[in-house]
Amino acid sequence: MAGPLAGIRVADFTWVWAGPMCTMQLAHMGAEVIRMETTGRICTVRMLPPWPGGAPNPNASGYFNQYNQGKRSVLLNLQTEEGRDLAKQIVAKSDIAVENFASGIIDKLGLGYEDLRKVKADLVMISMSGYGRIGPESAYVSYGPAQVPMSGLSTLTGYKDWHPMHVGMSYGDPNAGLHAAFAVIAALFHRDCTGKGQYIDMSQWDSSMSVLGEAFLQYQMTGSQPERNGNRVPHMSPHGVFMAAGDDAWISIACRSDDEWRRLTEVMGRPELADDARYRTLADRRAIEDDLEMAIMEWTLAQDPFDAMEALQAAGIPAYPPLRNREVLDNPQLADRDFWVEKEHPVVGTRRHAGIPYRMSETPAEVRSAAPIMGGDNAYVLNELLGLSEAEVTALTERGVIK
Amino acid sequence: MPERALEGITVVECGITGAASYAAKLIADLGADVIKVEAPGEGDPARALGPYPKDKPNPEASGTYLYLNTNKRGVTLDISQTKGRDLFDKLLATADVLIHDFAPKQATALGLTYERIHPLNANLIMTSIFPFGAEGPHADYEATDLTLLSAGGWTWLNGWPGHPEMPPLKPYGYQAAYQAGVNGALSTMGALYGRQRGMVAGQHIEISVQACIASILESSLPTWSYMDITAVRWGQRPIHPIDMFECKDGEWIFVLCIEEHQWQRLVELMDTPEWATWEVAANRFVRASNWDALRPFMAEWVATWNAADLYRAAQEKRIPFAPVSTMGSLLDSEHLKARGYFLEVAHPEAGTYRYPGAPYRLGGTPWEIRSPAPTLGQHTAEVLSTIGVSESDLASLKSEGVV
Repeated sequence: MAGPLAGIRVADFTWVWAGPMCTMQLAHMGAEVIRMETTGRICTVRMLPPWPGGAPNPNASGYFNQYNQGKRSVLLNLQTEEGRDLAKQIVAKSDIAVENFASGIIDKLGLGYEDLRKVKADLVMISMSGYGRIGPESAYVSYGPAQVPMSGLSTLTGYKDWHPMHVGMSYGDPNAGLHAAFAVIAALFHRDCTGKGQYIDMSQWDSSMSVLGEAFLQYQMTGSQPERNGNRVPHMSPHGVFMAAGDDAWISIACRSDDEWRRLTEVMGRPELADDARYRTLADRRAIEDDLEMAIMEWTLAQDPFDAMEALQAAGIPAYPPLRNREVLDNPQLADRDFWVEKEHPVVGTRRHAGIPYRMSETPAEVRSAAPIMGGDNAYVLNELLGLSEAEVTALTERGVIK
Repeated sequence: MPERALEGITVVECGITGAASYAAKLIADLGADVIKVEAPGEGDPARALGPYPKDKPNPEASGTYLYLNTNKRGVTLDISQTKGRDLFDKLLATADVLIHDFAPKQATALGLTYERIHPLNANLIMTSIFPFGAEGPHADYEATDLTLLSAGGWTWLNGWPGHPEMPPLKPYGYQAAYQAGVNGALSTMGALYGRQRGMVAGQHIEISVQACIASILESSLPTWSYMDITAVRWGQRPIHPIDMFECKDGEWIFVLCIEEHQWQRLVELMDTPEWATWEVAANRFVRASNWDALRPFMAEWVATWNAADLYRAAQEKRIPFAPVSTMGSLLDSEHLKARGYFLEVAHPEAGTYRYPGAPYRLGGTPWEIRSPAPTLGQHTAEVLSTIGVSESDLASLKSEGVV
């Protein structure tokens, strides 16, 4: 069975993570995604580890291979007139164009929406710059890791009485990529209803703040910035990550009600705590949370985190160890839903990659192939799709257009 | 012809974790008619989360609820009662989409299974957002945002390097719910497109929140599957600088160089200090290996600047530094004002506040806030009248606690 975007083609001008995250979603749903790359300026992510054995190799980066599954790659030097002309020929045969350069760069290349709609009138195009096209800082440069502090998430995240924190990954990138893919398919839907394509201006900064709505309201409603408070939250207590037995071992526990707190004390073998007036209600527990957490840690410190998880879950209490990367890869629940993808790749062989978090019953989303090596689909794109002869390809290669 | 991209689409949403609410909000903000079904009495649990004006609890003024439910019509209906479920089924008979985020056992108890619902409307797309998916050894595990971020592998990555005594840390807010929400909107949109093209009628989409988190961990998973390296707090950061420092004025700044040419310009901006020319700072990988030694030099230089001045000075040289924003600084940002990003929304009970606006701007079809979040049951009579419920029926349904 085909995915819902089967037969749709994407001209992919993206790089780094945000743009490729967007086009990978379209590939998951069955679109043919053609990534245009050049050896003159290799995608940053191809030049980042992990590489098997640790030796840098643009065709072996696990970071690249994770977020470019199911795509095709063609070498095209967009610094040349002929390269841009070939890119336009790809766009003419595509439905969607995606780019995530800093704002305005694509226009300077002569591949902006106004140029591309001349070759494809009903094109759906999205630009995913850091700051968006409008505004005094629109020409500024940004990357996903910077979106975390820019959006306010760093100031909101952190231990009590500590400084602002990052969140451990370049959250602005995948968040923008997923929002962008939704917007693109909505525009495609509209195109099929009306025959009209359109241009979408996306700012990664804007979309990073879309997932912090309640913090902006809190600031206005109470007149103060929400305080950093570690893993604690106002509406649940206990609510934290507790040190467990083992090397750097921890267990996350959340009690949503007084009843769950009572059951936690039973699992801990300390039922008297539930009857202790100091801990009876949410407000009581919140008032002496340091003491409360010490009491819980006395128990967790002697527990294997996975045993603790099972005991707490058996009592109906939300609990899960914070999984480290290899534990995620070994997680029985993710394995049970066939989440992992291990497609054959010409350079790295079969390696484990994250798959698709949703399943569609009638139009399955699916990873159709491993990420491409650079120019791995030159023959398909140049000869089959654009109809160039071998001699023409050779000449273009010699002139530095295909490189 | 529809002016809004998703005009004419009807969505029924039953959201209790924020995930279904955000998915339906993304769809509503592009023009769909979303009918939010809440339990009579307390309604969506987000009404009890706050934040509240002046910290005074009020289910009609919870910031989390207000933000997540713009552009929706609100209906109360007890779908655990036969009469309530019959009315719910009538709503589904003419809807395009049903989105819910009940856990598997609750969903089954409420009759929210595709087997039961599909015969009511063969064209209906049903999107089920489950904590761990529909099946598998942990499918019925209790969960909250914290435990799902832990099970997905994000919590582990967040913390401050060099502080093993501090626990893995959740990012602020409800990021598991937001990520599940955007995946919900994306996959639902794919299904709507497949239906629009005539590939398929209705279908069932099933989402695992845990898997949503496991699919955005940057290079963390391949770091194990390619190199057998365990992830560390704040991710691997194989290149540097990617760091945060305090400035002279007490504000923080995010210091970032991804590409080598950005570092070269930063060295110029720093007036080419001796340390920046040392072998241990020669390239982005070497800088990462030696960052513990180099960090104090960078900290010292940053501390001679005010944050806003350093941000501008760096960006003028196209170095991707970023502010460590607060809610207040974002609401005052000249750039965001010029974009008209924050939108004033007046709510009859909660008052008027500025909400985060469009995550993307579709040039041909508007993203808009047409109405504030509904008060509890605000549109019950209006919506139920379309399925033949008269005013006198409504009175008796009220007395029976169905609405």
